Amino acid sequence: MILSQFCAASLVSVVAGLDRTASLQLMVCRPIVAAPVTGWLIGVPVVGLEVGLLVELLWLCFLPVGSAIPPDDTQVSIAATLLGGMGNFFGEPGSLSLVVMAVFCCCPLGKVGQIFDGWVRQFNGRLADAAHRAVAQGHLKMIGTSHLKGLFAFGLASWFSFLVIALSGAGLLYMFFVILKMGQSLEPVAGFLRILFPLVGAAAILSNLKLRRSVTLFLASFVSTLMLLWAF
Amino acid sequence: MTVASLPKKILVQTFFRSFFLQASWNFQGLQNLGFLYVVFPALRWFYRDEDLQMACARYFGKFNTHPYMASPIIGMCLALEEGKYKEAGISAQDLTEMTMSPYAAMGDALFWGGLKPLAAVLSLFFAVKGSLWAPVVFLALFNLPHLGCRLGWFWQGYRQGLDMIQIIQKWELPDLAVRLKEATIILLGSLSAYLIVHFLETENMHWGLGVLSIPLLCICVWLFKKGVSSLACVLSAAALVYLLSFMSTWI
Repeated sequence: MILSQFCAASLVSVVAGLDRTASLQLMVCRPIVAAPVTGWLIGVPVVGLEVGLLVELLWLCFLPVGSAIPPDDTQVSIAATLLGGMGNFFGEPGSLSLVVMAVFCCCPLGKVGQIFDGWVRQFNGRLADAAHRAVAQGHLKMIGTSHLKGLFAFGLASWFSFLVIALSGAGLLYMFFVILKMGQSLEPVAGFLRILFPLVGAAAILSNLKLRRSVTLFLASFVSTLMLLWAF
Repeated sequence: MTVASLPKKILVQTFFRSFFLQASWNFQGLQNLGFLYVVFPALRWFYRDEDLQMACARYFGKFNTHPYMASPIIGMCLALEEGKYKEAGISAQDLTEMTMSPYAAMGDALFWGGLKPLAAVLSLFFAVKGSLWAPVVFLALFNLPHLGCRLGWFWQGYRQGLDMIQIIQKWELPDLAVRLKEATIILLGSLSAYLIVHFLETENMHWGLGVLSIPLLCICVWLFKKGVSSLACVLSAAALVYLLSFMSTWI
């Protein structure tokens, strides 16, 4: 069961990882898509949705501009969904605290994806040089071959990122839940932690969008929604 | 050199290949090999033998733009390679150098900074309600406009050639990006309030406590402006909440 879940999550990690930079860019890689899809494939769609809700806004404003590589929220969300869906293994089946803790364990590992991505881009530099030399010698087929090797490298890097995040995250989760038995003490605050992630993400977006009157607009909307929800 | 209009098959092939523009993204030439890969079927149609080899070699300079905004540039390049603008004295390489940076800035602001957060925030309303339509809503909201733009701009770029630069200018994309960002902020305010009320209702607490979150959000915004990362902020806040909760059980 765990092996089939791992294989399904691996498949999503490669497809979504490729969508992130190398191909299509239909935003299948966003946590709000990748996590529920993983959850649906491994039989826990609601866990995927929760993970998507928690991670989506956190790094949304890190733009992949020029050579900047944002933390890999795609692999973080896929790995967290896989771990959050393994409730029986961690002794907390279907608990919100396990899902929240899985996200906590995987989030700091988002840096791993950045490192792998950087290595692939360096490797691609050698592919481009090789293609340049081949074109000078008249071997034009090397254009497509070198380019598609880059696609393969991105796919492989995505899977390795997922593997490292999932395995390290599983280790951390095992330590917190099985050895330190933090599950029960986390239960009372799990609901609050569930809204903490999107709220911090909202604040990050607010500080990054660099718009005049952004705080005014945000507060006006916040307070009016609060009043409307109270009134109705 | 053969000068002829491109067959539809090659146009479709080029457009399809534009989805793989960044597959060989590298730090030296950025998207250069990708750009050559995209336009290669058209170059093979226009040139033969050594001319083709020389045409390919010309594309090994640096190229980097927003992946979606590459569509009009690719379209215009095909028009230039076709020889439509010989009298203008502009080569495809001049065009890419001229347009890639401004188009990258426009694309980043519009698609990454405007449309993506807007689609994400709207879909999160569905996620908070526990609806599995959330990913579908996100994909539809983001992809319908962006795919429309990519296809339309590629086709117009090829048909209109250099006039496409004026057409893109008329779209006033930076203004559109600002409007999208404003809409995102308004929806973000609503989403935050909705999340808090949802939480307070679940915990049987008074909705008025939601107002207390305003200073906390303001502190977070201030911390981010001081350079604190969102991850550090969320992890330290969570650790603090957990410790307080743990201590309260002891007291």
